[in-house]
Amino acid sequence: MVKSNRSALGIIFPNSYDPLVPELVNVRMMASIPFASRYRLIDFILSSMTQSNIDNISVMVNNNYHSLMDHLDSGREWDLVRKNGGLHIFPPFAEKESKPYVGRVGAIAGILDFLRDQKEEYVVLADTNVVVNFDFNALIKAHIERGADVTIAYNEQEFPESLMKSQSNDKGFYYTFNIDEGRVTRIFVNSREEGVQNFSMNISILRRELLIDLINTAFVHGHEYFERDVLIPNLNKLNVQAYKYEGYVARISGIKSYFDENMKLLDDYNLDALFSGHTVYTKIRDDNPTRYVAGAKVQNVMAADGCVIEGEVENSVLFRGVKVAKGAKVKNSILMQGTVIEAGASVEYLVADKNVTIRAGKEMKGTDTFPVYIAKFRTV
Amino acid sequence: MAKEMIAMLLAGGQGSRLYALTEKLAKPAVPFGGKYRIIDFPLSNCVNSGIDTVGILTQYQPLVLNEYIGNGQPWDLDRLYGGVHVLPPYQKASGSDWYKGTANAIYQNISFIERYDPQYVIILSGDQICKQDYSDFLKFHKEKNAEFSVAVMEVPWEEASRFGLMVAGEDDRITEFQEKPKDPKSNLASMGIYIFNWDILRKYLEEDEADPNSENDFGNNIIPNLLRDNRRMYAYHFDGYWKDVGTISSLWEANMEVLDPEHSGINLFDDDWKIYSRNSGMTGHKICTGAVVENSMLTDGCRIKGTVKHSILFAGVHIEKGAVVEDAVIMGNTVVKAGAVVKHCIIAENVTIGENAVVGAMPSGDENGVATVGDGVTIGDGAKVGPSAMVRNNIEGGEEQW
Repeated sequence: MVKSNRSALGIIFPNSYDPLVPELVNVRMMASIPFASRYRLIDFILSSMTQSNIDNISVMVNNNYHSLMDHLDSGREWDLVRKNGGLHIFPPFAEKESKPYVGRVGAIAGILDFLRDQKEEYVVLADTNVVVNFDFNALIKAHIERGADVTIAYNEQEFPESLMKSQSNDKGFYYTFNIDEGRVTRIFVNSREEGVQNFSMNISILRRELLIDLINTAFVHGHEYFERDVLIPNLNKLNVQAYKYEGYVARISGIKSYFDENMKLLDDYNLDALFSGHTVYTKIRDDNPTRYVAGAKVQNVMAADGCVIEGEVENSVLFRGVKVAKGAKVKNSILMQGTVIEAGASVEYLVADKNVTIRAGKEMKGTDTFPVYIAKFRTV
Repeated sequence: MAKEMIAMLLAGGQGSRLYALTEKLAKPAVPFGGKYRIIDFPLSNCVNSGIDTVGILTQYQPLVLNEYIGNGQPWDLDRLYGGVHVLPPYQKASGSDWYKGTANAIYQNISFIERYDPQYVIILSGDQICKQDYSDFLKFHKEKNAEFSVAVMEVPWEEASRFGLMVAGEDDRITEFQEKPKDPKSNLASMGIYIFNWDILRKYLEEDEADPNSENDFGNNIIPNLLRDNRRMYAYHFDGYWKDVGTISSLWEANMEVLDPEHSGINLFDDDWKIYSRNSGMTGHKICTGAVVENSMLTDGCRIKGTVKHSILFAGVHIEKGAVVEDAVIMGNTVVKAGAVVKHCIIAENVTIGENAVVGAMPSGDENGVATVGDGVTIGDGAKVGPSAMVRNNIEGGEEQW
C-alpha cells in the first residue's frame, strides 16, 4: 500500500438525491441520515477515502447542513484534522452570481480557485447515498493503468422499485452505462430498463486540471449536472472508463430501500461484507454499553451502545440510546437515536426518527411493503 | 498562567493481586464495565470536575496505558496549556531512579507541577472505580481552610481494620491516622485521594526525600509527618460508589454491580457525569436468532449466537452457537466457541475458548472462586478450567487446569 496518497483529493456531495427520501431529509441531508445502528451515511464514503490515504476532502454542503456540521465537527474522528489537506466544508458562497446549486457542476464551480491551488493530481467525486466500503486506491490504479480521462465506478444490480415507479425526473438523475471492453459507450439517464443494469455509483475519478477545464466550460454554458451535461455530450472525445465494483453496495433510494438496506445488515453475511474492509469511523457519543435487563427478550437485533432493553425486540435495528420499556414489543423496526418505546407499547414495521416517543400501550404498525415513518421528536 | 488545581494520578502500581490480568499491562489499564478501562474513571472525574491538567505517573508495563492515553483526546484532555501527560521516571543530570514510593513519584515530578504553578494538587489513585466530583472536594478543602484533605468513606466497623483509617473530630479535623489497625478508633477509611496546598505538599515531599529511612509513601510517611506537625488536616466524607478493584474477586464483583445500578449505586447511564473512553470503532453489536441474552451488557462488535446471562461483554466478543456464558466478565475480542461453557469468571482480551471447553463454575458450597484467563490465551477444545484457576498459558485440547 502506498504510504501517503498525495495523488488524489476527494469531493463529496452530501445533498445529492435528497429528494429520494423526503421524510428523512426534512431536518437533515442525505449524508447525515443515520444508518446501521451507529453511523451516518457519509461515514462510509468518508472512511473509505481517509483509509485509502485520501486526506484532503471537501464536502459541498448545499442546504439543511446543520446536522452534518455537527456530525463532522473538525473531522477528527476520521483523522482529518491536518495541516495539509484535512476536511473542508464548503457551503454555497453567498455572492452575486452564486446560489444554491442543483448539480455537481455548480458545486464545483464555486471552489475552482480552491481546486487550482491544490497539489493533488487527481480528484475523486462521490455522493453519500451509496453505502460502500470502497478501496479508492484500486480505483486510482485502474484509472491510471487504463489511461482513462474519467473513470466511473458501477455495480451490476436491478433498479430499486422506487426508481422504476417514479413518474418524473424531479427526484434527481441516475445513470446506467453501455460498456464496451471497459469503455463507457453510452450513458442512460433515468432508464426504466428491467433486469440487471450497469448502474453507476457516481464515484468518479479524473485529473484535477481536466475537471477544472470541464467545469469551467460547463458552468459558463449554464450546465448543472456533471454526468448529464458534461460526460454524455463528450463521450466520443473523452475516454470514459467503467470500473466494476464487486463489493457490497447498499443504495438508499427511498424510505423503503432505507428500511430494507438496514434490515439486510441483520444477516451476518451482509454485515461482514460491508464492514470487513476499512474500519468505518463515526462521531463518538461516549454512551455506556447497552443493557439488557432481566426479562428482556431479544432475537435477531443489531444495536448500538447506550440502549436499555427491558421488553421484547425482534428483527430490528436500534441506534444509540434507544429505550424499550417492560412489556413493550418491537418487531421489524428501525429505531433511531433516543427513541423511547414505553411500557406495553407495540410497534411493527416502524421507522422512528431520532427522539421519537411511543407512549405506553400505544400500537404502531406498518407493513413489509410500507413501513410507517415517524418524524424526529414526535410523540405518539 | 497559574492553574488553581492540577491532578497527579498514581498509575504505577503493578496490581500483582490481579495476577494474569496485569501480566502485560498496568492495573489502571485493566478493562472494566464493558467498554472502559479503570483509568477512565479518574480521568473522566477530572474533566467533569473542571480539572484540565493531569499528570499520570507510570512505571510498570506502561505500553498499553501509554497508547490508550495518547494525546488525551477521548477525555477532552488535549489542551494547549495543560492536558494529560504521562510521566514515567526519567534520567536527570543528578542520576536516575525508579519511583520508590507514591510520595517519591510525585517528588520526582515537582518540576512538572511547577510548570503550572497550582494552588492545590489533588492526588488520585488509578485503581479505583468511583464517580466523584473533585470540585466539591476542593470546595470543602477551601471552606475548612485546610492544608491537607483526604476523601474518606464510612465502612462497616467490622471491616474497618482492613483499611487506613482517619480519626476525626466533630469538625472533620483529623487527629490521628491508623493504618490497618487491630483496634480501630474510627470507621472512616481513606480512599487514597488527597488534596494538598501545593506549598505544603512540596515542603513535605522534600523533607521526606531527605529522610533515608522513609518508604516515600503518602500513607506511611507524608500523612504521619503532617500529623506530627499538627497541620490543618480534614476528612472529606464521600458517600457515593467507590470500589478498590485490586483483587480478582473485587474486580469481578464491581463488574457485576454495573449490571444492577438500581441497587449497587454505580450508574454508568448518567448523562451528567459521563465516563469517557477510547472507542473501539466497531459496528453495533448483533444478537442473532436463537441467541439468549438476559440481564447483561453488550457493546459494539459483540456477536451473540449462544446464551449470555448476567454477564458483561466488551467490544468484539463473539459467543458462538450453543455456548453458555453466565456471571462472566469477558474482555475485548475474545471468542467463545460453540458449546463452550463459561461461568463465574474473568476472561481477558483476545482469548479463544475452544469448542465444548469449560471455564469456571457457579459457586457451590465453599467454592466460590473466580476463574481467570489471561490475555491472549487459547483454551483448547474440550479443555477444563477449574473454578479457582489462574490461567496464564495456553491449555491444550482436552487438558485440565484447576
